[in-house]
Amino acid sequence: MSVPAIERVLFTEEEIERAIRRVAAEISAHYAGRELKLVGVLKGSVFFLAALARELTVPVKVDFLAISSFANQKGAPGMVRIAKDLDDSIEGEEVMLVEDIVDTGFTTRYLLQHLSGRGPKSLALCTLLDRTPRRIVQVPVDYRCFEIPDRFVVGFGLDYKQLYRNLKYVAVLNSEPATEI
Amino acid sequence: MAAQRLECELVTEPDLAKMIAAEFGDSIRIPDLAWRPLTVSILASLGAARHVVVCCTGAELFSGHLGASMLRLHVVAPESVRLANLMQDCRLDRAEAKVRLRQMEAARALIRKRRYGQKISRPTDFDLVLNARRLGPSEMVDLLEAAVKSQGLLDSGPLTATDAAEVQFRVRLQLARFGIVPPKRPTVEREEVGDRKEFGHPSEQVFANLLDFYGIVWDYEPRSFPLQWDKDGKVAEAFTPDFYLPEFNLYVELTTMKQANVTRKNRKIRLLRAIYPHVNIQVFYQKDVQDLVTKYGLPERLAR
Repeated sequence: MSVPAIERVLFTEEEIERAIRRVAAEISAHYAGRELKLVGVLKGSVFFLAALARELTVPVKVDFLAISSFANQKGAPGMVRIAKDLDDSIEGEEVMLVEDIVDTGFTTRYLLQHLSGRGPKSLALCTLLDRTPRRIVQVPVDYRCFEIPDRFVVGFGLDYKQLYRNLKYVAVLNSEPATEI
Repeated sequence: MAAQRLECELVTEPDLAKMIAAEFGDSIRIPDLAWRPLTVSILASLGAARHVVVCCTGAELFSGHLGASMLRLHVVAPESVRLANLMQDCRLDRAEAKVRLRQMEAARALIRKRRYGQKISRPTDFDLVLNARRLGPSEMVDLLEAAVKSQGLLDSGPLTATDAAEVQFRVRLQLARFGIVPPKRPTVEREEVGDRKEFGHPSEQVFANLLDFYGIVWDYEPRSFPLQWDKDGKVAEAFTPDFYLPEFNLYVELTTMKQANVTRKNRKIRLLRAIYPHVNIQVFYQKDVQDLVTKYGLPERLAR
């Protein structure tokens, strides 16, 4: 398998740390005196959620869910579904969905609708990266570390065919040569 | 009178109740606190298509959702004027009118309290407060019209499709807490757009599958937009976006040509945006389609 190379670093480790501290301070101020449940989406948000949780000063609970992948569908694509559900109820809790990236908005919209149906006291959205140029479905992003241009990025949880998640920085991946149809 | 002067659609409280029943089903029991998101959902749908004048208890409190696209007007009047109006409109004597006025005030306060948590309206929640003691209806409409013009509300067009979609999404999240399912999506005959439709390119079939996967209703090439006309007025050039997503009032165009070869299409899209500024279109170029292929693990051959 050929793996495209890194073209350039978009956000360094230090820049990411600074942005996470800034967002964590905003969240801590908003939820002061309250308890917050962070809900991460496997697998991409694990790295960001862990870094964010460490910077928060309010009491934090953590839970994860995963959704079925479009790529893994055999034959007809079917419908998106929860592949790994939350371990605990979120009813009456202050919940924050933590995403690595909000892109087209397809996945985030589905997850927000799913979570809101579980009766949380409040539901917010926090993302490491917000790629607004590619948005199809509008979703309310409450907290974001970075807005990014319309480039394919990897690192800090974001993958290319499951690789690169462990990079400490966010980088632009080299474009593959395109063929005209 | 205001709606007529401003050439807007008038939406009253009974109209809203009918629209909510039509949109969400007339058999649902609406909790009082769900009234606000339900009404906002209806107004966002209407506001994306045309300008409206809304006459409804507590409408000034919708500005949190509908923002600067609203101008909030409150008309107050001394009791003597209100009694006179009631006596005239309902053919009541003064004593009967007084009783009726108290009943109406109590009923309105109860509705406000239940739906919005406050019995009376606050002047600071309005942009314009007019007193009918001296001003007649026509003078008040003059002032309203001037305020609408000074805010440029009629020049800026109705609520943008993007803003409306944002409002609808937030509203749906709130409604879910009341167990109210989102409005019935615009119906599309799936068998006509899915299986029997001939797509222009395999990437369009994959994109359609992706939309189906996330439960997003779509239509394929439902509308052509004339871009140029000949001297006889016949359409000389038109543009037909690949997809229309009715839930978001959004057109999507997939471009799988090389960037260097998309100049003609870009020109058409620029023309489309200039001639039809309220049409919301998202363009996916070859690079974007390839990124989707990578992100969602689509069959790679379809991107080429």
